[in-house]
Amino acid sequence: MIAALLPTGTTPLLVAAIAAGTASLWLLLPQASGAGGRTGSLGGFFGGRTGLVGIVLGLAALAGLALAGRRLGGLGEEAAFQLVALVAIVGGAATVVTRSPVYSAIWFALALAGVAGVLLVLGAQFLGVATIVVYAGAILVMFLFVLMLAQPTGMAPYDRVSNEPLLAAIAGGVLLALLTTSIGRLSADPPACCTIPSRADAMNAAPSAPRADNTVPGVAAAPVAAAVVGAADPDALSADPVARLGRELFGRHLLAVEAAGLLLLVALIGAIAVVSRGEEAGTAERGTR
Amino acid sequence: MMFPSLVHDALVVGAVLFVLGLVGILTRRNLIVMFLSAELMLQGISVSLVAWSRYHGDFGGQALVVFVLTVAACEAAVALVFVLQAFSRTGRLDAAAWQELRDAEIPRRIDRELPASDAVSPVWPQLAPAGILPARDETAEPEREHV
Repeated sequence: MIAALLPTGTTPLLVAAIAAGTASLWLLLPQASGAGGRTGSLGGFFGGRTGLVGIVLGLAALAGLALAGRRLGGLGEEAAFQLVALVAIVGGAATVVTRSPVYSAIWFALALAGVAGVLLVLGAQFLGVATIVVYAGAILVMFLFVLMLAQPTGMAPYDRVSNEPLLAAIAGGVLLALLTTSIGRLSADPPACCTIPSRADAMNAAPSAPRADNTVPGVAAAPVAAAVVGAADPDALSADPVARLGRELFGRHLLAVEAAGLLLLVALIGAIAVVSRGEEAGTAERGTR
Repeated sequence: MMFPSLVHDALVVGAVLFVLGLVGILTRRNLIVMFLSAELMLQGISVSLVAWSRYHGDFGGQALVVFVLTVAACEAAVALVFVLQAFSRTGRLDAAAWQELRDAEIPRRIDRELPASDAVSPVWPQLAPAGILPARDETAEPEREHV
């Protein structure tokens, strides 16, 4: 707390808070030889005087961290983004290079967690949660079921070889270089077509657009909402993004949502039809032999 | 106005994921891992779409990602059915088991120098045989005060 009162910058405060947290953790951990009369379970719940010092240090560290986070303005969108992006990329790379397909699927789950974090940082709350639920909860489990059904015992030889790994890696590197250079050029010189209109411009452009309130309209009122959402909305991603995404989906894209539902039904029926047809063919083959 | 660095970083992450999935689907032979790589490419596309959605300040990109999710679910269901059918015919999840379907002028791929087994065999835990009374360890007695 003394560090918080000193008129210093944010970085020393952060360093002090992290150091205090480390020291607190070290002091609170059960150790064989601790100063301050810690002898087994006799030192009480707090582990004697050392434990009390550790708890005080830990509280100070939490306070310092919170203060530093407030000074940084919400503890760094950038830092959070780099962390989850690292998780996503490491998970994706491990998915591709791991030899065992089961481990590959599990690394893919980690990559999905990273991607969901990236989506959350980018302000797509619904999509982040949906990625976890749909991908990691349903699709990945389906992959694992098929693996358990179809995987031969031990590691198959075709899992230990790759088709032209050098050429494929070079092709991937060339594609990545192209993509990153074009993205960097975008960053250096944004095209005139794609600059974000300022809030005042957008207000002038659409003065009659009523301000969307927090109440989500029902599906019946969706076509009415569609006309509202169609207008340019400068802070669309800041206020209640999930409700607005729903309004966009069930307004502008209502027909596409219906088509997606139909697609899901067709895929379901098609999968069942293929399985039953395949079983019939298999029994017929066995019967003719 | 400046191009936001967060959008730039997200586009790079999407590109990296896409390229990783592309390399995976080109090189790997296991059908399941090939589909996982395709899903990884879809994830990269989703990240890019959401980044552009944030950049332009509207929800078109995010709505498109919802449909990407839908198509990915359908694709996984149907594709896994086909994978299971292929496995029941050949007994392998090997994409090269279906190279009879290649074009006439493409030579047959023959695996050379297949590694016989992994260099490092997995280490399984050794379980003690059940049903035997364990020998009492006199030195461990003071630690078992509640038994």
